[in-house]
Amino acid sequence: MTVLDDLLLFTALASVAIIALRRFASISKFSVVVYALATVLLIKMSALGYGGEPVYSSFTVNVLGQILQWRFDALSWFFALITLVSALLAAFFMSGAWGEKYCKEHSKEAYGLLQVALILNVLSMLVLLASGDLLSLFIGWELVSWASFMMMALNPDKLARKAAIKYIVYAMAGAMAFLMAIAMTYNMTGSLDYVQVMQGMAHLSNSQIALLVSLYVMGFGIKMGVIPFHLWQAAAYAETPGAGAVFMGAISARMGLYALLVVIVQIIGLTRVAAIEIPYTFLDMQNVLAWVGALTTIIPTYIALKQNDARHLLAWHGVGQGGYMLLGVMISDSIGTAGGIMHVFNHATYQAALFMTVTAVIYRTGTSNFSKLGGLVTQMPLTFMVMVVSIIGLAGIPPMNGFVSKWLIYRALLLDGQPLLFVAAVIGTLGTILSVYKLVHNTFLGQLRLEHQEVREAPLSMLIPMLGLAIIIFATGVMPGVVLDWVAAAQIAVGIAPVEHNLGGIELVQGGLDMIWVTGIMFYGFAVGAIIFYVLGGKSKHIHQYDNYAGGHFLTSKVRYHYSNHFYAGLMHMIGGWYRNVFIKLEHALVSLVSFMSQFSENFYRSSQPVMLVAVVVVLALYFVLGSSGGAEVSAGVSLGGFNQ
Amino acid sequence: MNSTSEFVTSEFVTGNVSLADVLPQMILMPLIAFVSGLLMILMYRKIAARLQRRVGPPFFQPVYDIVKLYGKKTQISHGLIHDIGIVVAVGGYVAAVILLPIPGMDGIADKGGIITLSYVLMVPSLGLALGVGQCANPNGSIGISRALTAMLAYDIPFIIVVFGVATHYQSTSLVGMINYQQTHQWGIFEMPLLAAAGLFTLQGMMGKHPFEIYVAPAEIATGPMVEMSGKYMGGLFVMQSFQFYVASVLYASLFLGGGSNWFEFLLKIFFVVEIPIFISFLFPRYRTEDMVRIMWKWPVMIALIGIAFVM
Repeated sequence: MTVLDDLLLFTALASVAIIALRRFASISKFSVVVYALATVLLIKMSALGYGGEPVYSSFTVNVLGQILQWRFDALSWFFALITLVSALLAAFFMSGAWGEKYCKEHSKEAYGLLQVALILNVLSMLVLLASGDLLSLFIGWELVSWASFMMMALNPDKLARKAAIKYIVYAMAGAMAFLMAIAMTYNMTGSLDYVQVMQGMAHLSNSQIALLVSLYVMGFGIKMGVIPFHLWQAAAYAETPGAGAVFMGAISARMGLYALLVVIVQIIGLTRVAAIEIPYTFLDMQNVLAWVGALTTIIPTYIALKQNDARHLLAWHGVGQGGYMLLGVMISDSIGTAGGIMHVFNHATYQAALFMTVTAVIYRTGTSNFSKLGGLVTQMPLTFMVMVVSIIGLAGIPPMNGFVSKWLIYRALLLDGQPLLFVAAVIGTLGTILSVYKLVHNTFLGQLRLEHQEVREAPLSMLIPMLGLAIIIFATGVMPGVVLDWVAAAQIAVGIAPVEHNLGGIELVQGGLDMIWVTGIMFYGFAVGAIIFYVLGGKSKHIHQYDNYAGGHFLTSKVRYHYSNHFYAGLMHMIGGWYRNVFIKLEHALVSLVSFMSQFSENFYRSSQPVMLVAVVVVLALYFVLGSSGGAEVSAGVSLGGFNQ
Repeated sequence: MNSTSEFVTSEFVTGNVSLADVLPQMILMPLIAFVSGLLMILMYRKIAARLQRRVGPPFFQPVYDIVKLYGKKTQISHGLIHDIGIVVAVGGYVAAVILLPIPGMDGIADKGGIITLSYVLMVPSLGLALGVGQCANPNGSIGISRALTAMLAYDIPFIIVVFGVATHYQSTSLVGMINYQQTHQWGIFEMPLLAAAGLFTLQGMMGKHPFEIYVAPAEIATGPMVEMSGKYMGGLFVMQSFQFYVASVLYASLFLGGGSNWFEFLLKIFFVVEIPIFISFLFPRYRTEDMVRIMWKWPVMIALIGIAFVM
């Protein structure tokens, strides 16, 4: 029994236990203990994160001469750590007041199902991350898809159900592409084992590789929600019940990136991908994938800017940040990939924290609609603080962790000489800044509504995981070296040169980054600012929110005096026309095409006109029988004609 | 053009810096920035006055203004975030000026480099935005939504310029860039198009005419300043002086070879800041969306052509 056996077996048994105990009140405490113990088992394997040897599971299955096996390497460990810690915090988050309210609003059964969905997601993700060959990867992939579907379908709301169905249709399309790619890989290389496939890939032609890469990327891209498959994700994650959305938003879609790292980067290799030229353009396949990443940063981010619901805004940013990860990985040097992989960790931390803050606001006020919120900072100061820390991380501004991973990506694009990709990445970041300010302003700043004057701070069971995440976001921003150690080990695992780093960041002769100093200087600056403000300035008087300048009006609680509707009016006046819903129209067109074809074939099969059916069969039979000879006659006639001339 | 650029390295990158060495710099650099910034504000007002055939304010007017604002009896606070917003707005610029190398003081500049500096420069805007947000005045919020839109407008060409310069020098280290320019040739001669686009961007960054609609000092009721009184306004005044200084020093470091001595340095930064000042009194204002349009059109186009030359 290896530690990996212990971990997988423990999680599987825990799933069974949670399914059995789901109606009991103590299930929430029990699940927290489960995730904590699983995390301890994972930490036992922490040598992996510092370049240790892969841990194999002693459990193997022999199918048709293929050995299915499971193992953990540094990359799996890195992703598993994020998964388990997200699950632990999400479980803690819902164990207290939130869970009680959920039970009251829905039912005990529904809450138990949420716990079941969470543990099944964790189990299936661990199985996926542990996969040691393409077939076990596919098994894990399918498990994750259905577990996610279960989580999303828990919300009985009509919109949520629709989003969940949409998700599963997309996921199945992706799975089919993935399965086809696996079948073709087996056909071409004769194996499904990673090492043997890797050796077999060397003998394939560029066109074969191009086909495989397209199919694999389609499969993984759908899970990641990259352009043009981005439409399913935001609604599905946003409508998942609060604590579930915390977990899903943090890690679920990143499984696509994991599979992409394993298959495209490790097995096929980016040099092979870069060797594929796209005809009639200057681009190669790697550039195309990098551009897919860049467009995924821009388009969903600017869709997020238009959202009027906090959960949807965050979920759209989740899609957009996935683009940075793909972009970073596709730069293919050690700094860029490090940025891409590190962003998975950073994104998980701030996205989980943000979903928690928004869930806490919903818990207290019952809504996440921007036009029904405002001014909550005085009522929920700690929640506000967590949100500010997280949005600074999401926007990629120092000193939070999101800045470090984005810096690595920018730096790699600079070294690589990719101006347009660099500009695209920065456009995404600037859009994020605008959008997160809208989030924090419309929820916490501005005027407090009358009905929210009794709102209190979020309960402790929700605050503890939020504050913990805020500390992680800040600490890994100041000392990115902690995470970069794991990232470097993961890079070695997928066959990329590890990034040279130290505790504070990157040392480069052509300009590096030392976050310890940068943070120190920033806080020194704030200290100077505070001295100027508090010591040199006079004493200020705190006044009521209605006591402000309103152009001669007297403000009362009857006057709605909070600017939240159509927030970036000037900008939208300029860029509003660029939102053309192209992808939505494309999706509709596809749906129409499929329904048309299904209707056509349905009519054909169900029509009770025997004469027509017989006629069709006869024509087809005649064509089948006479097809070859008829062709011969025609060609003979042609050649005869040619002879006659 | 590319032939002149070579590997720019800096001795400070790998060297360790001790706190005792840089502490004097951390105290002196913001002071220098503050005094220069006040002089720039004075220059701004004097030039405006002369163009309008007025005498203009006396030499110490910016100092009087700050003393007056900080000493006011009525200081209205809308809550803790309102206060912290002002602290962050000033503090972010204090941090930014420490990350900018000036003659004889560049111990810490290499810990961040140009990309980090560009992002530290967004911190004051975010702090101000949070502070104004808590005032619960929609006029302030509208001002912030315009200010952030303006930031989106000028930051895109600015980032393209930064990319072009960093590509040209093959470095993100400001110290390295300045050293290279002082031994070879100024950036403005090697990258004239990027320098032109940078100057255009500078106009937007300073928040002066014709791109000042979001500050709207003449119609204070409709801008971010609507709820700012006393030391809050004073903090923004201090911030503005830093803003002038940072923009001009950054431009001088990227294109004019920084300064090898103090005289040269001060001459350059005052010259740089003078150009946008002259331009600002010749044009009326642009609306926010027109600012976006003009910023995404001309400087972006010029800078992209400039990048094509340095690649």
